[in-house]
Amino acid sequence: MTRVNTVLGPIAAQQLGFTSIHEHIGYGMPGSELDTRWWKTPEQRYEETIPKLRAFAEHGGQTFVDATGICNGRDIDYYQSIAEKTGVNIIAATGFVGGDTALKHFAEASVEYLTDQFVHELTVGIGTSGGKAGIIKVGVSRGFKLTALDLRIYRAAARASLATGAPIITHLAVDAATAIEALQDEGLPLTRVLFGHADDGVSQGKVDEEGIVSAGGRIGFDTFGYDLELPDPPFWGRHRDERFQHLMRYLRSGQADKVLVAADANCSPLGWPGVKGHTINYLFEQLIPDLRQDGVDDATIDQLFIGNVADFFTTSTPDTLNSEGK
Amino acid sequence: MSAQVNTVLGPIGADELGVVAIHEALLSVVPGAQFAYDITIDRAEIFDILASKLRAFKAAGGGTIVDRTGMFHGRDLPLYEALSRSTGVHIVASTGMGPEENLGGYFLTPQTNPPTPWPAERFAELFAAEATDGMVHPRVARRAPAGLIVTTQSSDGATPTDDSLLRGAALAATRSGVALAFSAPSDTIRALELALAEGLPADRIVVSGLDRAGTGATVRATARAVAKRGAYIALDHIGRVDAGSPSDDDRAALVLALVDAGHGARILLSAGAVGVAKGHAEVNSAYEVVLTDFAPKLAAHGLDEDGIRRILIDNPRDLLAVKEA
Repeated sequence: MTRVNTVLGPIAAQQLGFTSIHEHIGYGMPGSELDTRWWKTPEQRYEETIPKLRAFAEHGGQTFVDATGICNGRDIDYYQSIAEKTGVNIIAATGFVGGDTALKHFAEASVEYLTDQFVHELTVGIGTSGGKAGIIKVGVSRGFKLTALDLRIYRAAARASLATGAPIITHLAVDAATAIEALQDEGLPLTRVLFGHADDGVSQGKVDEEGIVSAGGRIGFDTFGYDLELPDPPFWGRHRDERFQHLMRYLRSGQADKVLVAADANCSPLGWPGVKGHTINYLFEQLIPDLRQDGVDDATIDQLFIGNVADFFTTSTPDTLNSEGK
Repeated sequence: MSAQVNTVLGPIGADELGVVAIHEALLSVVPGAQFAYDITIDRAEIFDILASKLRAFKAAGGGTIVDRTGMFHGRDLPLYEALSRSTGVHIVASTGMGPEENLGGYFLTPQTNPPTPWPAERFAELFAAEATDGMVHPRVARRAPAGLIVTTQSSDGATPTDDSLLRGAALAATRSGVALAFSAPSDTIRALELALAEGLPADRIVVSGLDRAGTGATVRATARAVAKRGAYIALDHIGRVDAGSPSDDDRAALVLALVDAGHGARILLSAGAVGVAKGHAEVNSAYEVVLTDFAPKLAAHGLDEDGIRRILIDNPRDLLAVKEA
C-alpha cells in the first residue's frame, strides 16, 4: 500500500488520477508579504483560484501538486479549504524552491536539522495545520549552479525521501551532475527524483538530460504554457512548438516513462504579477489537443498524467530500500 | 500642534513618553524561525511574558519602549497594541531591515533577469510608506505608522545591499520625518557619512551598538566623532556583561566623558533586552536596568539629576518627535 499525503489526509496512489505534478496555488518570494503592491483580499484570492480549479476538475483533473516551498507563502490551511470545497486533491510540499528562498533560520541550518524539518512536515504535519506534506521540493539558486546551501537542502531531501518514501521534485534541472552526485552519495535511487523545468527557455543547453535519464532520474516538462507567444511572456518562456517538439522526442523514442508534465502556473500569485493568460488548464486546452493532433494516443496521455505519477509516488518504500541496502 | 511620536496605538505628544528605552526587542524571531518544526510561537504565553516585563519597566519608572527589531524579525503589531493597552507602557515599533543575511529572497534575488538586489530607492519607498501610511501586518492591513527606521550592517563589513538598506533608510527618514537608527560595527563613521549624504540631518540619526564590544580608545573616539558630527550615540547594551563586553562602570565613564565634552544632548541609553527570543539565544537582561542599576551608577560617577533626566527623557523625546517632512 502506498499512502500519499494530501493536505486533507492520505489517499492511495491509485486514487491520484490525473495529476499535474508541479503547480502553485500562489507563490511569492520570502519578504514579498511586506510589499503591499502584491496584496490581495481573501475574496480576490478565492475568485482567482476557484474557477481555475473547477475547470481543472471539469476537464478531468484530480490532483494538484503544489510545489511551493517553506517561506514562499505556502499556506496549508488555505489549501485545505480549497481542496475541500473543490474536490481537487492538493498535495503540499516540504523543502525549499532553492537556497535563495530559505530564510536565515534555515539558511544557517545543518543537513541534519533540515532533514528533521522535512521529515516532521511529511510525517507529523506542517505548522499547526494538521496537514502533512506529500512531496519534497529542492532547487538550484539563481545563477545555474548549486550553492553550498542548495546542496545541504538536496542532501536533507534525499535523507527525508529515504526515511518517508516521499518523492523529490526540483526547481531547475541544470547542474545535474552535481545534484546526482550528492543524491547518490546519500543512497537515494534517482527514480525518486523529478528534475524539473528541463523544458524552460533559459535552461536549454544547460541540462544534461542523458545524464539524468541514465542515472534513473525523471525529466520534468513542467513549465508547459510559459510560451513566448503570450502577450507578456516571462524570461524563462520558450516557443510553444519548440517545447512541444522537445517532449515529442521522448514520446517518439519510447521514453514516455521518463517524463512528467505540468504547467507550473500560479492560480493567484502572491509576490509577483504572474503571467497573464497562463493557467494549469493549458494542459487540457492546449497541450492535450496538440498531442492528439500529433497522433499521440490516449493511453500515452494517461501514462504521462496518471501512470507515471502513480509510479513516481510508489516506486519504492523505506522498507524495501532498507532491505535492498543490506 | 506640539511634536508627535508614532506609537503602535497612534501618535501621542512627545512630552507623554516619559523615560524611554530606545533600543529594545519585544518579540524577536529570526527570519524563518516562525516556520521551524521545533519552535512554538504561543502568542498567549508571549503576551504574558512581555506584559510582566513591561510592567516591571513601568514600576521602575519607565514610560516608553522602542522595539528596534524592524519589520521582519518577529514584529507583531496586534500583539504590541494589546500589550500597550493593557500595561499602559507606550510602545514604539520600527520599520527597516538588515543586515543582508536577515532579508528574504524577494529583496535579494527578485524574479527578474538578472536577479538584481533591491537598490536604495526601493527600500526607501518601502520604509517611508511604513513610517507614513502605516506598518504592515503582512498581507492583511496597515496599522499605525512606524516611530523609528532601523537597519544594521553586517559585522564583518558592509555588503552592497547593507549600504542600499542604510541609504534607503536614510532617504525614508528624510521623507517621513521619522528618525533613523543604525548599527555599523565594521566602519561606523563611513556608514554615518553614507546616511548624511542622503540629506538627512545629523540630529535625526542614532548610531547604536557602540558599547557592544568595548569602551576602549577606538570606541571612545568613534563615539566622540559621531556626537561631534551631531548624531546621537546609543549605548544600548547597558547591564550586559557578555564575554569581551565592557562593564557598566566602563560605560558610565564613557557617558561622563561625553557629557564633559559637551555631548550630553546626544546620548541615549538602553538595555538591548529581548523580551521573547525565537530562533536565537535568550538575552538575559531587563528593560528597566538603565533605571534600576545604571542611573544610580551615573549619579555615583558625578552626573547630576538634570543630566540624567536629559539622557533618559529629553534626548529620546527630541529624537522620536516626527519632524515636518
